[in-house]
Amino acid sequence: MNLEVLAGCLASGACVVTQISSGLIVGMLLFLVASGLSLIFGVLGIVNFAHGAFYMAGAYFALLAYEQTASFTAALAFGALAAGVIGVAFERFIMSRVYGHDVLMQLLVCYAAILIFDDLVKILFGADYKLMGMPDAFATAPIQIAGGFVPSYYIFMLVMALAAGLGLWLGINKTRIGKIIRALAINPQMVGALGINTKLLYAGVFGLGCVLAGLAGALAAPVRSLTPGMGLSVLIESFIVTVIGGMGSIPGALVAALLIGLTRSFGAIGFPLFVDGLMFGLMALVLVVRPSGLLGAKAS
Amino acid sequence: MRRESLRDLFIAAVALAVLLVLPVLFPQPALRDFLVYVIAYGLLAMSLNLLVGLTGLVSFGHAAYFASGAYSFGLLMQSGHFSVPMAMLCALAGTALLALVIGAICVRLKEIYFSFITLAFQMFIHSIILTWVDVTGGDQGLRGGIPRPAFLGIDLSQAGTLYAFCAVVFIVCLLIMRQVWQSPFGYTLRMIRDNPARANFLGVNVLRMKLGIFVLAGTMASMAGILMALFVSGAYAEFAFWTMSGEAIFMIMLGGMQVFLGPVIGAFLLQTLNHYVTIYTEHHGLVLGLVILAIVLGLRRGVADYARDWLAARRTTREAAALEAKPAKKAVS
Amino acid sequence: MSENRGAIGRRMLLGGAAAGTAMLAMPHVAGAQAKVIRVGMPTTLSGRIAILGTSSRTAIRYAFSRINEAGGIGGRTLEVVDRDTKGRPDEAAKITRDLINNDGCEILIDAESSAGSFAVHEVVRDIPVLCLHTNSETSSLTADPKMLVKHAFRCARQGVHDAVAGGVYASAISKERGLKRWMTCSPDYAFGRDNTAEFLIFAKKFDPGIEVVDQIWPRLFAPDYTENITKILQVKPQAMYSALWGGDLVSFVEQANLYRLFGNLTFFSSSLGDPPVASAIKQLPQGIHTAYRYNRNYPAKPANVAFADDFTKLAKHEPTNWAWQNYVACEFIAEALRRTNGRTDPTALSNEISGMELKTAFAVDEAITMRASDHTIIGYPVPWGITIPAAPYVKDFVPVDWAQILEMEQEWKKDKGFA
Repeated sequence: MNLEVLAGCLASGACVVTQISSGLIVGMLLFLVASGLSLIFGVLGIVNFAHGAFYMAGAYFALLAYEQTASFTAALAFGALAAGVIGVAFERFIMSRVYGHDVLMQLLVCYAAILIFDDLVKILFGADYKLMGMPDAFATAPIQIAGGFVPSYYIFMLVMALAAGLGLWLGINKTRIGKIIRALAINPQMVGALGINTKLLYAGVFGLGCVLAGLAGALAAPVRSLTPGMGLSVLIESFIVTVIGGMGSIPGALVAALLIGLTRSFGAIGFPLFVDGLMFGLMALVLVVRPSGLLGAKAS
Repeated sequence: MRRESLRDLFIAAVALAVLLVLPVLFPQPALRDFLVYVIAYGLLAMSLNLLVGLTGLVSFGHAAYFASGAYSFGLLMQSGHFSVPMAMLCALAGTALLALVIGAICVRLKEIYFSFITLAFQMFIHSIILTWVDVTGGDQGLRGGIPRPAFLGIDLSQAGTLYAFCAVVFIVCLLIMRQVWQSPFGYTLRMIRDNPARANFLGVNVLRMKLGIFVLAGTMASMAGILMALFVSGAYAEFAFWTMSGEAIFMIMLGGMQVFLGPVIGAFLLQTLNHYVTIYTEHHGLVLGLVILAIVLGLRRGVADYARDWLAARRTTREAAALEAKPAKKAVS
Repeated sequence: MSENRGAIGRRMLLGGAAAGTAMLAMPHVAGAQAKVIRVGMPTTLSGRIAILGTSSRTAIRYAFSRINEAGGIGGRTLEVVDRDTKGRPDEAAKITRDLINNDGCEILIDAESSAGSFAVHEVVRDIPVLCLHTNSETSSLTADPKMLVKHAFRCARQGVHDAVAGGVYASAISKERGLKRWMTCSPDYAFGRDNTAEFLIFAKKFDPGIEVVDQIWPRLFAPDYTENITKILQVKPQAMYSALWGGDLVSFVEQANLYRLFGNLTFFSSSLGDPPVASAIKQLPQGIHTAYRYNRNYPAKPANVAFADDFTKLAKHEPTNWAWQNYVACEFIAEALRRTNGRTDPTALSNEISGMELKTAFAVDEAITMRASDHTIIGYPVPWGITIPAAPYVKDFVPVDWAQILEMEQEWKKDKGFA
């Protein structure tokens, strides 16, 4: 516990800027993964425990595209889309067969998917450490804001994540298809009765969730090392975010992800050894006091 | 009821005899090792099924008690002040207390939220094991071996004796769980699983019942942990990792959750699968994953459950056929 | 109803058990002098540190193929039987027993990392076969006399040796440049903590002016280090030590690059000298101090370069630290077998390996010695160098005198109550 240092940091503009930006970076990437997880739960009512695998897929496919085309934009797009396509296939051929079964079945299917994906990545890409690299445009000194430092690549990452989050919000709240998806979450039979292909919608929503995870993986590929099994730690953190924010609530995922990000960045200054314990503790507390999460719909 | 208990006792005795005779007929140490793993993991899966299959509480954090048993037993033995049975009793009691505290919080939550919070507690315990290096040895586990001093003339440092000991403990634990499975308590738990509102209406204290079975399941899991610690002569942080709970759930799903011995069958199948797949390929994740998919999507339930349903279906068709046959005869005469 | 369910379950269980028994009851037949000597290898081939197992295995297969092509040992050939423990110690224990009892392995190369190696160690305490630990660097595995197993040896670098070497090297630089304010950033698990503590003991011993102003402990396998990097920016130390390794180190360096962390900071790394780590980093900064893990140019011997070339052809990446350690283990085994005329009796082999001075390409001088007193190797490369952006990634290796390391190690052992 080192509260003096924390107080000292809060008094310095430079420290506050650096820490807030680092909290945002960790938080926003987490938000991308968690929002996909939350979206899938909210609409399909299933917990996609294999979500980390799509983050991994996004990273590896982005790497592949970057190696082939040397285009960063193509890498991001390909990583996100490939994760989405795999997601749709996974939903159609496997996940959809265990809807309505107990959660154990879904858990097992996801467990199997994780095992298969990790091994496939090892076979296709090898077990050694990899990084994607980034365009020279980002290879500049960090930008100074009020004495604090923010790397230009992270600003790009934040903008991308914000844009994706905003797009998701607008898409769900302001468009017709968004309205249908919201209706689907509440009353699928009714939506089906209106002559809308719910199967297609389910696959689409699942794929969209995976696109978000894949985009996060692709954005992370230049700065986080790629190894088989890399999805696991991201899965656990985004899972905690989803639970704290409220399963199914995307604004909740945003709030919780930023909360976790800022807790990590300022916690690293004030009480470094306690950050992980704090996350689990917070999750347990939220579950006891308000099982539906900070912004989740109240459970019946 | 009494006749049933006698029958269970008789079957248990036969099973024990078979377990004890097997290594005599096939004296390869590998078989004994294999069976010890089936016993330890089988016991873990059986104890978890008291929650999952019997009560409908899907715990994602059951390995926490497996680890708690292994670590507390190992630490007590390494302190040198305890005999094996004494340390076992203390480890069981300690884990029961732990399960009581955690369970008191968890059983208030329903469905998927119960799963989440048990998982949260397990991850919490895992991170405690990792960080409390002075006591637990952190990620390197309890080192230097767990001493197994002889007691009552039983010397567990003999591989054969250790195996027999595991077999006896296993059968005794199964008998205890069988009693619970068949008892009025067990039927109350089924009612809670199938219709909690009705149970509540009938004056059942649902929370207390759930807490009771949670503690019992935790204690049984710690027994499995103790056997594993005895066998590998150590305890490791991986015991408390979520993959361990995941595997226990997989064993239940593989074997079946409605048949009493389903989880043991699942443990046996998974160990066999694991044993052979690991020998022939390093891509066991791929193979295991495909097998899981095949079972989940093909059978849609455990092997034992599937067999039971199949037998039941066959019986009904036969009875139906017999019923149809009778009037046909009459018509002829 | 329910008793019927139970009865089915039991019958199925017993039937299944019998079938399984029949399958398991066919152990590999190992004659007294079978032509092939099987060497068991429990290791981790999946998950985040799969490269530990795959690179170790490539090195062993390569070593064995060379030995066998040269005529084997008195007509007997060597064969490795590898199994994935999935990084689980209980699985490592089971697999090790199976390798010995069921697969007829007469010798073991334990290529597990720390926790798993302790599990394997306990197994060979029970079942005597010759065992060489090739990847565990945790000092206590061999330094603690309580852990001693007569026929188990470590053929890998040892934490305390690296700590002394690092202390000697780093303190010379810190004295020269007046680096007083130090910080550490190491993974939060037993090895990371021990390694960092040992490094600091020796660095402070040689330069008492060193003051550790802060220590941070990111989680092992954490994906992101931004919060730790910005913390370092706040503390502004003059020098840093880090025991991060593998993929974690790759992420850390690349993320620290974005903040230009290495500009005004003298950085000491325990593992950046591992070629696959250094080559994965896109912008490896110039001038980071790193301990030797492996390098094709050090020790500067043609046989070493040949090893690097051949290994790279097989594995599609440069050798890891684990690769040379496993290769040397194979050399120890082959030499011991030659001396026993192919007998695999653990006592006979242990007697040969104990104290053996092995002439190898990886020795600093002529030979790497398996010290008889505590069954661990000495005389392997422990220099420090500085990084350069392109292959071979590390240059200017400064050797550290083994006599000094051994002296300090002895003192450390006394402090720990090991000697």
